[in-house]
Amino acid sequence: MIELSAVTKAYNQGRENEFWALRGIDLTLERGKATVFQGPSGSGKTTLLTLVGCLARPTSGRVRFKGRDISALPERFLTDIRREAIGFVFQSFNLIRGVSAVENVMIPAYPLGRPPAELEARAHALLDRLGVGAKASSPSERLSGGEAQRVAIARALINDPELIVADEPTANLDSGHSARFLDIAEGLKAEGRTLLIASHDPRVIDAAPIDRIVALRDGRVLDAG
Amino acid sequence: MLFQPAIIALLLASFLCSAMLLAVAPFAVGLLRRWDLSSGSAGQVMLERRTHLVSALVGIALAGEAASLILFVVNADRMAALFTGAMCAVGTLLVNPFGFPALELKIAVFFLASCWLILDWIDRQGWDYPLIRVKYAALLALTPVQLTASGVLLAYFLGLRADVITSCCGSLFGGAVQTLGNSLAALPHDVSYAALIAALAAVLACGGFVLGRGRGRILYAILAGAAFLIGLAAVTSTVSVYVYELPHHHCPFCLLKGEYGSVGYLLYLPLFIGAVAGLGVGIVGPAAALPSLAGPAPGFAKRLVRVSMAGFFLFGAVCLWLIARSHLVLFPA
Repeated sequence: MIELSAVTKAYNQGRENEFWALRGIDLTLERGKATVFQGPSGSGKTTLLTLVGCLARPTSGRVRFKGRDISALPERFLTDIRREAIGFVFQSFNLIRGVSAVENVMIPAYPLGRPPAELEARAHALLDRLGVGAKASSPSERLSGGEAQRVAIARALINDPELIVADEPTANLDSGHSARFLDIAEGLKAEGRTLLIASHDPRVIDAAPIDRIVALRDGRVLDAG
Repeated sequence: MLFQPAIIALLLASFLCSAMLLAVAPFAVGLLRRWDLSSGSAGQVMLERRTHLVSALVGIALAGEAASLILFVVNADRMAALFTGAMCAVGTLLVNPFGFPALELKIAVFFLASCWLILDWIDRQGWDYPLIRVKYAALLALTPVQLTASGVLLAYFLGLRADVITSCCGSLFGGAVQTLGNSLAALPHDVSYAALIAALAAVLACGGFVLGRGRGRILYAILAGAAFLIGLAAVTSTVSVYVYELPHHHCPFCLLKGEYGSVGYLLYLPLFIGAVAGLGVGIVGPAAALPSLAGPAPGFAKRLVRVSMAGFFLFGAVCLWLIARSHLVLFPA
């Protein structure tokens, strides 16, 4: 489903503070599997997710998503792919303050122009399924960490993406909420979705739903799993 | 003369555009030599990133330069009051030998720039940069024309001297000297009138066919170009005399003057828009054969056809209105 060939990524290229986050990554990631990118801070996990998630472009190399080269796509096409095929769960959840949970969930679907009633029903259904239906009307800043994460997952699922990208999803959660996240991840995988998770949390790495662990260090693949 | 606001604006637009094209030329040459979408090299990825910025900047500069044609004509008309012997824009343009070449080059740049903008737009609809080589080759071809236009424009404005006694439009459109203007003015009214009706009818009929069947786009572009030239000839030989109600006054520039209700703008704007959109149909039409443009190109071509047809229809309607309201009778019943 996703192929990376000779992918490099440099920040501040040509300047004194030039930093190579990725140095020649070759990887193939299968459809319907849960893959964890493991490694210490600065190993390139998040950068790799941003490239696969069409949030950034490589400095060199190619990234292919379902056979199409997404690293060369003009921005307007990347926007469509991000919106329709990829759901993001960020480390700090990135919910919009002052907006209710259900509205946060619906936001990524607004540009697609679906009927509002249908959209709202789907958002409520997702919140119910993830166990936060009772918090639908709560402003996002009043949600606990676990609730905020589940709302963020619901938001990632609102456009029914086939790929879920999660960056350190359990970094701000206690053990109970981490276990709950892994249950949800298992359910998403069972639906046929592909999960890419960047984490150095042993609870995630050793979890049952994880099919493959890719170890990264200093921007290189140490172990492709 | 150089410090007239309109002249400063025209020179700025022209030189900014020329500077932009000169700055982009090395990038365009590099892209034509090294573009390889199958490669993931750092150089290729850099070309892909930069082409968006380059296209956007060049597009803004070219759009400004194309639009400045209107300011050039307005300025030429307004400045007629400053020169002895000038009655309209023709007098201003005849103050020195660079006037009419400057106008002709401005018109050439208007069409080339507009066609490039259409080419750029359709290229950006494809996910695999389908026309990128054509686009940058066209940009390199456009560059010398624009540089020449800037040079001639500067020479024209530097050569504007208030103590020069210039000629009026009567010598260019209706005099005995053999010029293109006089040749156009001498066209028989019935021939130019019939040619205008036939050309507009052909464009509108072909446009209807393209909209209905989705074929004939190249033919439409050719007809639009022909209708533009025939339209200009008909305005000079026939429509103008109806406006002035003088059988021997053929100047196509006096139509811009306020004393004739500035009807020239009503004629020329739709005619130019119709022509450039029509030529765009000829650019977008063949692009529909490319896999990544098979979706967006036909729809865009149809939009261009509609804009072009509307332009020519409006031009024809204004011509008819000017003839109908005139007290001049060229064709007795």
